[in-house]
Amino acid sequence: MNWPDLSMGGYGFYVWGSYIASLIFFVWEVVSLKQRKKALTQQQQQSSKPVSPPVLRGSINETTS
Amino acid sequence: MLRWIVWRDLMLAWRRRADMLSTVFFFVIVVSLFPLGIGPETQLLRTIAPGVVWVAALLASMLSLGRLFANDYQDGTLEQLLLTPQPLFLVVLGKTFAHWIVAELPLVLIAPLVGVQFDLSRETLWILFLSLLVGTPVLSLIGSVGAALTLGLRGGGVLISLLVLPLYIPALIFGAGAVEASVMGTSPSAHLSLLGAFAIVSLLFSPWATAAALRISLE
Amino acid sequence: MNIYKYASPAMFYPIAGKLIPWFAIPAALLFATGLFVGFFIAPTDFQQGDAYRIIFIHVPAAWMGMFLYVLMAIYAGIGWAFNARLSSMMASSLAITGAMFTAISLITGAFWGKPTWGTWWVWDARMTSTLILLFLYIGFISLQAAIDDARRADRAGAVLALVGVINVPIIYFSVQWWNTLHQGATIRLLQKPTIRGSMLAALLIMLAACWLYSVAVVLIRLRCIILEREQSASRFAEVGV
Repeated sequence: MNWPDLSMGGYGFYVWGSYIASLIFFVWEVVSLKQRKKALTQQQQQSSKPVSPPVLRGSINETTS
Repeated sequence: MLRWIVWRDLMLAWRRRADMLSTVFFFVIVVSLFPLGIGPETQLLRTIAPGVVWVAALLASMLSLGRLFANDYQDGTLEQLLLTPQPLFLVVLGKTFAHWIVAELPLVLIAPLVGVQFDLSRETLWILFLSLLVGTPVLSLIGSVGAALTLGLRGGGVLISLLVLPLYIPALIFGAGAVEASVMGTSPSAHLSLLGAFAIVSLLFSPWATAAALRISLE
Repeated sequence: MNIYKYASPAMFYPIAGKLIPWFAIPAALLFATGLFVGFFIAPTDFQQGDAYRIIFIHVPAAWMGMFLYVLMAIYAGIGWAFNARLSSMMASSLAITGAMFTAISLITGAFWGKPTWGTWWVWDARMTSTLILLFLYIGFISLQAAIDDARRADRAGAVLALVGVINVPIIYFSVQWWNTLHQGATIRLLQKPTIRGSMLAALLIMLAACWLYSVAVVLIRLRCIILEREQSASRFAEVGV
C-alpha cells in the first residue's frame, strides 16, 4: 500500500474536482429523496389515513365493507 | 382508404397554405442566419453548408410536427379515425405522407436554391437535394411518433423537440455526411445508401409506434 | 405462495422499505473500499500519471447510465404490455438516477479530457453517444412530467423508452462513423490506460458500489412514487371522480 500523492502529480484539481462533482450529485439525490419522502409521509398522516401500508383498491389487504 | 386520407389532409393543408409557406420561410431564414453569424468567407461557408442546411431542415420539420395530429384531435376527427375498421397503421401512414408532401417536400425543393448561398457546386447541390429527398421521410416518420405522444399536452413544440431531436441524429449524420462527402470530392453513395436504409426501416416501424402512441394519448 | 400479489404497489411498498438498508449500507462500504484500492493500492499510470484515477468514477458511471436506460425500457415495456403499474413506476424511478449517472459520466469525462488531451470537451464517439443518451433520458423525464394522468404517462413513456432503446445502437453506430470520418486515422481519444490488476479490481468494486447505490436510491424513489399516486388516487375518490 502506498500513500497517494495528494496533489495527484499536479492533476489534483481534475481528480478531486471529478470526485467532488460526483459526490455533489450523490448527496443531492439522497437528500432530495429524503425530503420528498418526509413531505409525503407527513401528508399521509395528516389526511388521517392508515399510515402503512397504503391501501390501493384491489390489493390483498383491502377490507371489504 | 389510404388515398382518401392523403387527399383529405392535402386539401385541408391547402386551405391553410400560410402554414406551409411559413415552414419554408423559417427554413430559408435560419439558413441565412449562419453566414451572418459566422462570416462570409467562401471556403468556410462551403464547409459548414451541409450541416447548416440539414440542421435548418431538422428544425423546420420539427416546428411543423405539431400540425400533424393537432387539428384533427381538436375537432374530434382523430377519435373517429381510431374507431374505423381500417387499420390505424394505414391512417397514420396516410397522414404522415400528406404531412411530408406539405411540410418537407417544399424544403427539399428549395434547398438547392438556398445552397447557392454557400457557393456549392452543381454536383453538390444535386447531392443536397437527394439527401434531403431520402432523409426528410425519416424526419416525418420519426417525428410522427413524437407528435402522437405529445398530443394535447402543454409545452408544445419544445417538448416534441426534446423527444425527437436525439432520434433525428443518425439521419443528420448521414444526410449531412453525404453532402460533405460531395464537397470534399469523395463518393456520397455509402451515406445515401444508409440514409435510404433508415428511410425503409422507419417506414416499416414508425407508423406502428405512432399508432400505439395515438391510442395511448386518446384513451 | 402467490408471488404475484407483490406486483401490487401496496404490497411491495413495505418490502421495498425493508430492502433499502441491505443495499444502502453495502453500497457505502464498497464505495469506501473501491476508493481505497483505487487511491492507495493501484499504482500511478506510466502515461497519464495520477490523472487516470478519474476512471474509477467515470467508467462505472458511464456503464450505469447505459445499463439503467435499458433496464428502464424493459420495466416500462413490461408495465405497458402487462398493465403492471408497479413495473411502470419502477421505470419512472430509474430514469432520474440513470440521467444522473450519465451526467456524472459526462462531467468526469470532461475533467479527464482536459489534463490528458487539452480540451474540456472532446467529440469522440463515446462522449458524444453519452451526451445523446442524456438527451434521451431528458426526453423521457420531460414527457412523463408533462402528462398529468399517471397511466397515460406510464404508457407514453414506455413507447418513448422502447423507441429510444432500439435507436441507441443505431445512434452509437452513426456517431462512430461520424467520428472516424472526421478524425481520420489518428489517436483514439480518452483511451483507457493499460489496466493492471489492482486498477481493474478498483473499477469493479466501484461498479458494484454504484449498482448497489442505484438499487437503494431507486427503491426509495419508488416508495415516494407509490405514495404520491396513492394520495392523488384517494383525492380523486374523495371528490367522487
